[in-house]
Amino acid sequence: MNVTFFIQVLINGIAIGSVYALMAVGYSLVYSIMSFSNFAHGGVIMLGAYIGYYSGALFGLPIWAAILAAMLGCGLIAITIERAAYNPLRKRNAPPLYYIISAMGTSILLENLIVATIGPNFKTYPPLFTERSIEIGKIAIGKLDLLMLVISAVSLFLLVFLIDKTKIGMAIRATAYNLRASSLMGVNPDTVIFIVFGLGGAMAGVAGVLFGMRYVVYPQIGIITNKAFVGAVFGGLGSLPGAIIGSVLLGIIEVMASAYWSSNLQNLIAFVLLIFVLIVRPSGIMGVSTEDKA
Amino acid sequence: MNLSWYYISGILIFAGINLMAVQGLSLLTGFTGLFSFGHAGFMSIGAYTAAIVTSWLGAPFYVSLLSAGLFAGLISLIIGRLTLKLKGDYFVIATLGFGESVRLLFAFLESIGGARGFTIATSAHHTSLFDVVLVNAIGLIVMVNLIHSKHGRNLKAIREEELASRVIGIDVFKYKMSSFFISAFYAGVAGGLFAHYLLFIQPAMFQLIKSTELTIMVIFGGLGSITGSVIGAILLTALPEMLRFLNVWRFVIYGILVILIMILRPKGLMGGQELRLISWTRRLISKRKGGQA
Amino acid sequence: MKRLLTLLLVFLMVFSLVGCGEKPAAGPKGNTAGDTIKIGWIGSLTGDQAVWGTCESNTLQMLVDEANAAGGWKGKQLELVPLDYRGIAEESLTAARRLTTQDNVIAIIGPNTSGGSIALTPAVETSGVPAISTVGTNPLVTVTEDGAVKPFNFRVCFIDPYQGAVAAGYAYDVLGLRKAAVLYDQSIDYSKGLTEFFEKQFVHMGGEIVAKEAFNAGDTEFKTQLTKIKEADPQILFLPYFFKEVALTANQAEDIGLNVVMMGGDGWPSEQLMKMAKDSLQGDYFVNHLDYKDPAVADFNKQYMDAFGIAPELNGYLAYDAFLVLKAAVEKAENINSVEIAKALETVEVQGITGFIRMDAATHNPVGKDAAILKIEGDEYVFQQKYSIVPVE
Repeated sequence: MNVTFFIQVLINGIAIGSVYALMAVGYSLVYSIMSFSNFAHGGVIMLGAYIGYYSGALFGLPIWAAILAAMLGCGLIAITIERAAYNPLRKRNAPPLYYIISAMGTSILLENLIVATIGPNFKTYPPLFTERSIEIGKIAIGKLDLLMLVISAVSLFLLVFLIDKTKIGMAIRATAYNLRASSLMGVNPDTVIFIVFGLGGAMAGVAGVLFGMRYVVYPQIGIITNKAFVGAVFGGLGSLPGAIIGSVLLGIIEVMASAYWSSNLQNLIAFVLLIFVLIVRPSGIMGVSTEDKA
Repeated sequence: MNLSWYYISGILIFAGINLMAVQGLSLLTGFTGLFSFGHAGFMSIGAYTAAIVTSWLGAPFYVSLLSAGLFAGLISLIIGRLTLKLKGDYFVIATLGFGESVRLLFAFLESIGGARGFTIATSAHHTSLFDVVLVNAIGLIVMVNLIHSKHGRNLKAIREEELASRVIGIDVFKYKMSSFFISAFYAGVAGGLFAHYLLFIQPAMFQLIKSTELTIMVIFGGLGSITGSVIGAILLTALPEMLRFLNVWRFVIYGILVILIMILRPKGLMGGQELRLISWTRRLISKRKGGQA
Repeated sequence: MKRLLTLLLVFLMVFSLVGCGEKPAAGPKGNTAGDTIKIGWIGSLTGDQAVWGTCESNTLQMLVDEANAAGGWKGKQLELVPLDYRGIAEESLTAARRLTTQDNVIAIIGPNTSGGSIALTPAVETSGVPAISTVGTNPLVTVTEDGAVKPFNFRVCFIDPYQGAVAAGYAYDVLGLRKAAVLYDQSIDYSKGLTEFFEKQFVHMGGEIVAKEAFNAGDTEFKTQLTKIKEADPQILFLPYFFKEVALTANQAEDIGLNVVMMGGDGWPSEQLMKMAKDSLQGDYFVNHLDYKDPAVADFNKQYMDAFGIAPELNGYLAYDAFLVLKAAVEKAENINSVEIAKALETVEVQGITGFIRMDAATHNPVGKDAAILKIEGDEYVFQQKYSIVPVE
């Protein structure tokens, strides 16, 4: 097959990967501080898609305002979940296992809460563009894909900037390095956890709106975050650049497998590759190998 | 409300099938500290193995259960060899990847029905409540003996202090591997029971949610407690049926209950306790006898 | 230790005694209606199939209320006992065990997947209660692998081989197209079944399948598959799955500039489809059970809209017909007894809203149901013609 085909497929892969990345940074942020995989994240993303939908459908907000509303809403929701489902465990020094179960309970709760209240019907965002794609030579790029890519890139850039260059970011990094030591240094871990869940939630909000806008909104979209989770592990859990690189790579690998091998095996290849990466690099591509704290 | 025994025994059969898988997981998670999201994969391997053994080879039911366990165990040796060195969540993810891969692979294999499913031959034995109880009783006896053996004590040592165990000469990897094998064997047998109860299996029956439900049962009942696993499996299998009066709200409440147990009883329902329950039951039984007299 | 083992053995013995009491009787006696006629329904009210399940339960509740207002069946009031099974096949078996024995229903309608409809077979055969599947299209819902009919399983929908063959026949014969591509959901049996028989029929007639691509349930991104399909340059693209993914596929095909006639099965029609992808689906075709201009269909649509504020899905029409079929069987049977009703169902003939239904006693499938071909033009599903075909073996 030819170069045009390759470029077309590559663009598709990067577009999917960028959405995975937005979802994966939320996992990674929480993991870096609390060392557990927050399986309730998918539920928060789903709620973000609904918030975006209703702020457009009910209040007629433009898309940027809908994204802001979802960021704010999801940030608050993520913080609430932390308070209700994880904080009591933290007070008791419970091992990560219990957090995961609590997170899974939350995820079951959120999905079914939406089914019971809003209902199971699919919701669609109003179309943003009348002409769906722009053509460059023989390559057609969806305008929504482009928009998605830009918004993801901007949000991810802002997040990385925040973590790398600001005082809050430094506190988060310090806490990620060592929770107990940083609290001795005057960093309040409660505040850091509060901020981390707020940030992760806000990113989930962006991801939710973009996903809803690009595809469709329904109570089970949280499932898609399993892929983002794979992306996060792929890049190395707890590493922000790792989550982004891992997710984009996963997106590209998926579409390439589908394009040049077989679409029947697309998901299978993603998972097999995941296991393979873990065997070769047990802490992901960018992950720091954690020696047992004995 | 007139309860029907046919309905309740149906729930108990599923509870027993889950319990079989949960017993194995309980060893893996509770006594070795490893945490799997892929045991639905081992269950499906067991289910398909057992179904093929009885339907195509015409072997007896109990032979099929044994082969289901052994084949799932065999696969676990390969997977374990590759992934058991991984730490914490990386191991969890690797098992998740394994479980999903197995499901996708079964959906892809047309010779055993692919996504449309596999029908068990009409001549095959149907799993009854008796089978489920018998298999679980054997499983429990083996498990309890295992846990109280030297092998079990070493497992606990690894759970508490992996590095220290290594220093005193315990082959940590070997012990993790054996627990992984046993847990896969149990899950495989559970799959065999499942296949012969439903008489029809589809890859879609073994989704990630099944693995997570099994893990929730283990933690819900209490890590490191076999009695807890029994209660967790039965209670959580029956709970969705008991909550039917809530209609579409039943899984909202289910989710809330799972969170509440984690928060209010941070060590699970049984919190690693065993014998207290038994003495409590005995007290209850003797009290009741007293009352009748 | 020893105490524990003793307790376990006692536990085991008690249960084995109870277990022995569970031997099935010589032939099921079935349930006989008491003061009210209880009808069971199993379907998804939660889980990812809830959109379709909810529509079935709404429709049936509406029909039951209507029948009761008109005096019920044979002078007895009806009662619907709806149970959610989350789209999880094994839960359908537990639900059927409950409905048949605890709730004493005289028949079960549903569930809305083939997997669920097959899984409940042991329960309905033990209890002698008929189950009428609404949209279980897998042939194995009503017959065993050896082709023997299952005495208590029925359905009111097409089976996979038929729909796939109709689509292929129409594309080849009427539209005159020779090069087809297929995109299908490899993780669901409906999509796999339609694909298999579309392919068989199309190739048999002399056409060529130039591309065949797959995805898995839950996927939302199909552009890579569509790009490959575009390279193969087909004249028609067959999309045998449900409207949510169909809408996404159609929009994404537009995104990458793939302009080709698309065709699908009865998973397509929905208000939601039009909302999501009307513009991308102009001029495309699908196989359906009914013509939306039919007065009976239009009446039901209006009634449903008034009651629930949303248009019914296809499942609503099939639940409607399952209800009519059951009503005819109850009237035909001498007593309101489930075994007699099952017997009566084998020879039932009803004018349903999805067509004329005559149950085939040898397969428990409706026979002679014409397929309607509809085309999407503007806001409407425009009826093209009735089309029937004898599928190749």
